[in-house]
Amino acid sequence: MTEGHQESGGGDSFDLSQFYQIFFEEAGENLDLMEQMLLNLNLETADDEELNGIFRCAHSVKGGAATFGFADVAELTHQMESLLDRLRRHELQPNPMMVDVLLESADASRVLLARHQTGDTSAPPSNADLVRRISELAAGGTPAPAAVPAPAPVVAAPAPAPVAAPAPVAAAPGARQLEIRMGPLERPDQVDGIKDLFRDIVGLGSVTEVASDRADTRVFHASTSSSNDDLLDLFAFHVSREQVNIREMSAAATSWTDRDDPPPGAPVAPAPGFGFFEGAPGVPTGAASSAAPVEVTEVRPAAKASVAKPAASPVAAQPEAATIRVAISKVDQLINLVGELVITQAMLAQNSQALDPAANQQLMAGLADLDRNTRDLQESVMSIRMIPMSIVFSRFPRMLRDLASKLGKKVEFVTQGEATELDKGLVEKITDPLTHLVRNSCDHGIEMPADRVAAGKPETGTITLSAAHQGGSIVIEVRDDGRGLSREKILNKARERGLDVSDQMSDGDVWQLIFAPGFSTAEVVTDVSGRGVGMDVVKKNIAALNGTVEIDSSEGYGMRVSVRLPLTLAIMDGMSVGVGDEVYILPLSSVVESFQVKDDAVNTVAQGSRLVKVRDEYMPVIELEKVFQVPRYDGGKSGDIMVVVEAEGSRVALLVDELLGQQQVVVKNLETNYRKVPNVSGATILGDGKVALILDTSTLVRRSRH
Amino acid sequence: MPLILAVDDSPSMRKMVSFTLAGAGYQVVEAVDGQDAYEKAQTQTFDLVLTDQNMPRLDGLGLTRKLREHPNFKTTPILMLTTESSDLMKQAGRAAGATGWLVKPFDPARLLEVIKKVIK
Repeated sequence: MTEGHQESGGGDSFDLSQFYQIFFEEAGENLDLMEQMLLNLNLETADDEELNGIFRCAHSVKGGAATFGFADVAELTHQMESLLDRLRRHELQPNPMMVDVLLESADASRVLLARHQTGDTSAPPSNADLVRRISELAAGGTPAPAAVPAPAPVVAAPAPAPVAAPAPVAAAPGARQLEIRMGPLERPDQVDGIKDLFRDIVGLGSVTEVASDRADTRVFHASTSSSNDDLLDLFAFHVSREQVNIREMSAAATSWTDRDDPPPGAPVAPAPGFGFFEGAPGVPTGAASSAAPVEVTEVRPAAKASVAKPAASPVAAQPEAATIRVAISKVDQLINLVGELVITQAMLAQNSQALDPAANQQLMAGLADLDRNTRDLQESVMSIRMIPMSIVFSRFPRMLRDLASKLGKKVEFVTQGEATELDKGLVEKITDPLTHLVRNSCDHGIEMPADRVAAGKPETGTITLSAAHQGGSIVIEVRDDGRGLSREKILNKARERGLDVSDQMSDGDVWQLIFAPGFSTAEVVTDVSGRGVGMDVVKKNIAALNGTVEIDSSEGYGMRVSVRLPLTLAIMDGMSVGVGDEVYILPLSSVVESFQVKDDAVNTVAQGSRLVKVRDEYMPVIELEKVFQVPRYDGGKSGDIMVVVEAEGSRVALLVDELLGQQQVVVKNLETNYRKVPNVSGATILGDGKVALILDTSTLVRRSRH
Repeated sequence: MPLILAVDDSPSMRKMVSFTLAGAGYQVVEAVDGQDAYEKAQTQTFDLVLTDQNMPRLDGLGLTRKLREHPNFKTTPILMLTTESSDLMKQAGRAAGATGWLVKPFDPARLLEVIKKVIK
């Protein structure tokens, strides 16, 4: 090693904050994993592997939190770890209460982490009650339920309240009177938190600070029945074990628990928090062992080592998910660039059509290659943004567990096709609607256990969430075997609300009624599924993603809601139509049909609105020419092609000049480059370099209603 | 340039350790757990092994034991990074053949201070 390494890397100025982000992500993953494992934990048959895995999650979060200075997270996860440690050592039998408390603690840790991540400096939520419950469970007891139903906001907790009672406090039975010395400390205020520990942890005892004979040492008198080891563990977040001396005040003044520590007052070198084993391989010569020499009788005979087995063939290396983390903005940038490339390629292809294929054979072959490679590249790049649906699905078991127990129902949750991949942007937007659907199934679909038994069904209801690719879309289904939709109730409710319905309506049309704003057939409005603001929002959100929702139901047997979504928002199948010199793109998913219209099929009604009759059905006509005020240079010959589009359950006919064809278009956001334009959802660049607007069919349909 | 094998299943700890070491002029190879580290040790020798204790597949003690059986690692310093500094843990570390221990949480300066003592 050369001189001067330390100056370049170490020192107090070392900035740990550069690792915060990676720690937050890692801690989040660990907490998610822990939650999943806890939910899957079979309390009777929990094996070492599972318990160790759960322990390791808490352990990792604690280690990181302590290293990066998030003391509150470290403290909470330390409590979790203590409980889990006893579980994995089989000193305690896991019970549902422990799972509940651990799940709650994981949530609380997330909250704390989020506060650090966002730099929130307001008063942190108090986890004292949680800590109390964990430690009581860890001690083998049965804690009283949460003292307060909601995590009570800390009402201006008076900062480290000086313990009024003079030490030693009236000793509880079995409590020991201890003098705890901490030092030498680099910053004496680093142990301020000790007093909080005694305040926050019920049953720990009491503490009071007494005058110290040294500036770098602080002395506390405590009354507690906890063991020294437990105390040292608790203190470990504020001060390293080596800096703590505990002695019983009733005992001889010299009986220090840490036998190898020098008596107080004697000059001591700062405890290093590390040590070497004397005589162990690799120990630096002359390095003073800074820890108590450990007596180890077992010495590995040298001979044993030489019989070393032939480098134990590493078990068929378990494949680790080899992944890298990349900022989403980089991926989006890449997708954008590829989009540009696709456009350039399309332009070249279009221009080359004018060339003589025989004379430009090589060029044409090259362009064909470019075409294929560009497409492959585009697909690969798009796949970067694809993430498995399991990311969404994984949040439901927990939610359903809580919900079912709140409602007193028994629900089994089944997922299928979790590996199905979907664009990240879509995944984020589909989560809320899906949550709503799953909640609905549990709240309104699944019956109470007694009702189910009476109906001859198994006591436990089943909710199935599945995802699958179908062509260019993904279909996500929420199924339940509950009571299903009642045709009668829906029709009655619709009449009450003054909707135009008849008994002759098809089932499909009846089910669509529940998407009407404010429609709810729930007899009792629960705090779970809200007050009927829901299905309409679900439908609207899904429609905004160019998706559709379908319902299938059988009264008494359950229902199924299918959500169909495009695989990505970045590319869309479009139909291009011409109006004057302009080209517009319609989302292919909303196009129903197109036809040439005869003049006598269009009727003008009040206020100049026009209707077209298509197979005995009248629908509003929207003239794109007027909507976008397209100038006519050729003498005003208006178009005669109608394109019927459907959105939000209604249809309108758009009047255009010509149909230009179907094509995949790369969607460019208008708002980020310009501003929101009415009736337009985005733009794209065509093969010839011209910009075409992508029409927002839902606003066009809405427009026709007024 | 001294070559160090840093073993930890926590990516943030691994990053911090290797960043600290790289900043001080050491070359670092990372391993995600004991098993991964052991496999890396089959093809390479190191001047120092820094290992976490609690890891999936193969923990720090297990790794230390296996490395000590390997002819290339008879005298290589092996430091255990651990949150448990109990005597029991120290005894186990010593029995496994570890060179020493460093208590977590530690800061980068502390880490370099210890490493400087064992790497010549």
